[in-house]
This record gives sequence, structure tokens and C-alpha cells, in this order.
Amino acid sequence: MNTTTKRMVVLYLLLFLFVLSITLVCSAQAQALLQTGAQAPNFTLSGVDGKDVSLSAIPEKKVVLVFWSTWSANSKKALRRFEEFYEKFKDRGILIAGINAENQTISPEDRENIKKTMKELGITFPVLLDRNLGSFHDYGVIALPSTVVIVDGKITYELPGLPLVGTEQMFDYLLTLVGEKPRTEVVPKYQPRYDAIADANLGRAFIKKKMNMMAYPLLKKAIEKDPRYMLPYVELAKLYVTDGDNANAEEILRKALTVEPDNVAVLTELGYLFCMTGRIKDAIDILDKAAQMGSYTPSHYYLAYALGKDGRLKEALAAFDTALSLNPFDYRIYLLRAETYENGKMLKEASADYRKALELLLQISN
Amino acid sequence: MNAGSTGRMFLPATLAFVLLLSPLHASAGQEGPEKSAALIREADTLSAEGNIDSAIDRLKGAVTADPENPGAYDRLGYLFLRKGQADDAVNAFNSALRLQTDLRTAKTGLGLALLKKGDLDAAKKELTAALSLNPYPSMTHYGLGLLYEKQNDYEKAIVEFKEGIRTFKDGKR
Repeated sequence: MNTTTKRMVVLYLLLFLFVLSITLVCSAQAQALLQTGAQAPNFTLSGVDGKDVSLSAIPEKKVVLVFWSTWSANSKKALRRFEEFYEKFKDRGILIAGINAENQTISPEDRENIKKTMKELGITFPVLLDRNLGSFHDYGVIALPSTVVIVDGKITYELPGLPLVGTEQMFDYLLTLVGEKPRTEVVPKYQPRYDAIADANLGRAFIKKKMNMMAYPLLKKAIEKDPRYMLPYVELAKLYVTDGDNANAEEILRKALTVEPDNVAVLTELGYLFCMTGRIKDAIDILDKAAQMGSYTPSHYYLAYALGKDGRLKEALAAFDTALSLNPFDYRIYLLRAETYENGKMLKEASADYRKALELLLQISN
Repeated sequence: MNAGSTGRMFLPATLAFVLLLSPLHASAGQEGPEKSAALIREADTLSAEGNIDSAIDRLKGAVTADPENPGAYDRLGYLFLRKGQADDAVNAFNSALRLQTDLRTAKTGLGLALLKKGDLDAAKKELTAALSLNPYPSMTHYGLGLLYEKQNDYEKAIVEFKEGIRTFKDGKR
């Protein structure tokens, strides 16, 4: 190969890597999960009134997205609170937008139900219909209701569910956004370093493309750059588990807990790891602690799974029900419950749950 | 939800799946195929919004504009399934298969429609045939799982549903 040919090869290689990196960054943005400090994924959704609304075209710099559904009891409570807030402060440059995640598709009956609920609650802020649950997935919503606060295009606050204390803290934060004095001191949510978020997202994009070896250094680098950013610890641990290295998975999760001992996502992953490695009692202890922290859905269904492994079927089913009440769109709940039923030789129930898990993956509903 | 429930609806991703796999070759410069393709696009949008009746109307217009388009019949079949109209779905899938005998999505759809009609033997024949020519088998495993559930053979149903989940995760949808 002569020098010119070598140069051409290197040039094409660099061009290929550039295109690959652009693709992966775009992919990472598309699958960005709920995370404070990250760019809010854009969306264009139809309103109940039939008008399309794009996040990028909303003139207000401060936007509160409230993910909800008519079948979730706490959604109504959340909508009432946000309506009160909106009535008072809608002229202060903040927009509340309800994102309805009723079902995988919105039928005419669903649409009527949504309108009926809005009328019953006197909702005046815009409500958008999340067709195919696209925004639900883009924002990594794990429970309904869930709230995401966006300021200047970035996620500044996130709250799954409607926990007692957390909800009041969030409304205090919203008061500061409209220039009001909060009722209690507001501790701003931790904003991870931008370059750590970028590395973590790129790492996750490689994982999605099954290029695990490329993901390891990026996730490690993200942790190095911002040790308080929990997401790369969790992703790295999952990666180790996928590759069968449970010891390193446990080590990285324990390292994360030295930084933030009560992080619900880390506790949940560690609990699940214990469960998968046969340490069922330890798993139940840690998952029970995580589940009591509130609306982090995986903590409930992993706890359920661990209880099932411990032979406590009744308690397991109750915990699965809690998980389903928070997020019936997560196929893993049905998958783990199916396995629990199958282990208990309840084949009819197991079959129904495996079917439901597959229906969710294939987006088939009844 | 039970295995025999009627009115099982096939959602936009299914249609997107059909869209990806079906041959839609609207030739440029021909009014019929072009009009048909435009109506199909409208139907896809309408069905994604849950407006099934209007989507069916568009697809009926599409097959009138281009009666040689198997993809239009295929989509129509899935929408009839979603409406619980099994006989209409069977007719639509058969029309698609008359135009393209190896259209795997239509083969799977025909199996699902026959299943809904309660013709388990014929459904099994179609689904098994679909599986043999289908490199994206998770939907077909789903159909076979439903079939075994109807026969109260839960062990086999579990095997099919698990295989459907596995193939889906492997990207074989």
C-alpha cells in the first residue's frame, strides 16, 4: 500500500468514526432517561383540542410536564395540585403541560375519558396525548404520575409518583421558579457535570448496540469526571452482570453507595443482584428499604420477585400489584411475575403473564 | 385478560413492522399506485392515533386505487383484526397472499385471524408455515402461544411466548 492509499484509508476510517459517533450521540439523546441536568427530549404531541404542540416551540422558558393517566388514582391528586398552582402563577412565565399516557394508543373512548376527567377536575392547562407512549419512554418515566421540570431546555427537577414529602419539596422549588418565597428552604437537585452525562450517554448507546467493550471505559470515565453522578455506576454494574462479572458489579454498586447511601436506583440494583446470586434474605432487606422510599417501580417488582423466590407468594403478588399500579407498561413486571408463577407451577397464570410481557414488547393491546 | 379474549388490537408498531416488511412499490408516474401509497400513509397515521374506522376507509381506497398492492391488503387485515372482524381479516390476508404467496406478515396475520375464528388446526398450519419463512418470528411465536393457550396447553404456550420475547430481544421482530 503506498502512502497516498494509506492516507485515504485513515481518512475514511476517521470519517467512519465521526459518522458513528454522531449516530451514537443522537441515539443516546433519543433514549435519554429521566436525569436532572440532561437536555429535555423534544416532542410534538396532539392536544386534546387537536392542536399539535412541540416542546421546542413553547415560548415559556420554564415548563412542567406532568405525566398522568385516568386510571391512576394519584394522577387526579397531582392534576388538582398543578391546576391550583397554574391558576395562581400562569402569568409568571411558567407553563404546566399534562402529558396523558393512558395507553399505548389513545382510542376514542380513552379520549372521552380524558376529557371527562379534565372537566371533572377543572383542568385549564394544556393536556397532550402521548401517542404510542413515545414521550413516556423518551423521558424514562417509571411511574404515573411523574413530574419533570424543564428550565431553558434542561431537566432541572424530576419526581416519580406523588410522595408526601417529595411533592411538597417540588412545589417549593416551583415557587422559586415563579419568584415566590418557598415555604421551606429549597435544596437544588444535583446537576451532574455535562461531560460526565455525555460520556454516560455515549456508553449507553454502545451498550444498546451490543458494543460492550466500548462502553466500559466511557462509563468509568463518567464516574471519574463526576463521582456524585449515580447513573453510570448503575449502568456499569448492569454491564458487568450482563458479562457475568457479578463481583465487579457488586463492587461498583457498593462504591456508589459510599457516595450516596440512600440512592434508590443503586439500592434496587444491588438488591436485584443479591437476588440473582441467591442471597435472597439480603435482597429482600435492601429491596424492602428501597421500596419504602416511594415510587421507584423497579424496587417494587424486584422485591416481589425476591419474595417469590423466598416462597412468600402472597406478599410477592401484592408487591407486583403495587408495581403495576405505578407503571403497567413495563414488560419486566409481567416477565418476573410469570417466572414467579411458573416456579410455583401455576402454569395458566404464568402463560398469561408471559403473553402480556410479549404483548407489551410487540405493542399489542386489548 | 384471558387467552380467548376477543378484540385483540394490533397497534402501530405492528403496522410499522408490517410497513417495514411489506413490499410497497408505488411506481413513480402512475396515478393508481401513487394514490394508493398516499392513502396507506394516511391510514398509518390514523391508526397510530387510534382512529381505526377512518384508517380502514383509507385502506379500502388504497386497494381500489391499486388492487395489486399486497401491502395494502395486509394492513387492512391487521386493522380488521384490531376491530375483531376475523372474517374480513381472513379475506384481506388471503387477498394479500394471492398477490404475494410468501408475504410472511400476511401469513402470520392469517394464522391469527383463523385463531380468532376458532379454527385452530388451520391457524396452526398457517403460523407454522409463517415461522418457516419468517426471519422475524416474535409475532409468529406470539400467535402460536395464543393457539396453545386456547388448547389449554400452557406448557407449550409458555415455550412460545418465551421464545417470542427472546427473539424480540435479539431484534427478530
